[in-house]
Amino acid sequence: MTNFKAALEILRNAEVNFVVVGAYAAVLHGSSQLTRDLDICYERTSQNIKRLVTALSSCNPRLRGAPSNVPFLFDERTVSHGMNFILETDFGDLDLLGELSGLGQFPDVIRDAISIELFGQPCRVASLDAIIQSKRAA
Amino acid sequence: MSSVAEKLTAAEQKRLYELVANPPLGSKVEAAKNYGVGLTLTLRSLTLTPTERSQEMESALLLMEEMQRAALRIDR
Repeated sequence: MTNFKAALEILRNAEVNFVVVGAYAAVLHGSSQLTRDLDICYERTSQNIKRLVTALSSCNPRLRGAPSNVPFLFDERTVSHGMNFILETDFGDLDLLGELSGLGQFPDVIRDAISIELFGQPCRVASLDAIIQSKRAA
Repeated sequence: MSSVAEKLTAAEQKRLYELVANPPLGSKVEAAKNYGVGLTLTLRSLTLTPTERSQEMESALLLMEEMQRAALRIDR
């Protein structure tokens, strides 16, 4: 199971620009569902990708569900050339989303995101409308 | 984000729970209930802070995983 607090701390400490989306965001808004993974929408600028890669490199990121012989190098080039990554890390499952169905990319998601206090720190979370919109589109 | 409970008076909370227990016909609350949304669970969740919601969910997941492991042991 994902250690949500640890995952968010790693990203925040590295000053990664991201918004929490998906089922975990719905839980933070009050949904009573359960989820094992953390979905984030990350900003796709070269500087932010660099921060993201630096933050996660020490957490042994690998492709979730892929055979172990599938080569995967988590670096700036890979993230720049890709978009969405479904990962398994030492702190649990993490989905890095450059783009969300029905919503778009980070600038679209951040527009009406809200800031909440989570584990004593501010955290940006997609709006409830945005979460519903992306779930409907998925 | 403060919890809903902090914003509602006791009378308002009582009305809210009555609404969930007996939603008006054709209302969105009734549609959600018929769809299978756990409305009382949702209301309970809304009384918590986001950190508490996350912690409760993680506790529930841990319990679920423990039960799955116990079930596997029984099967063997």
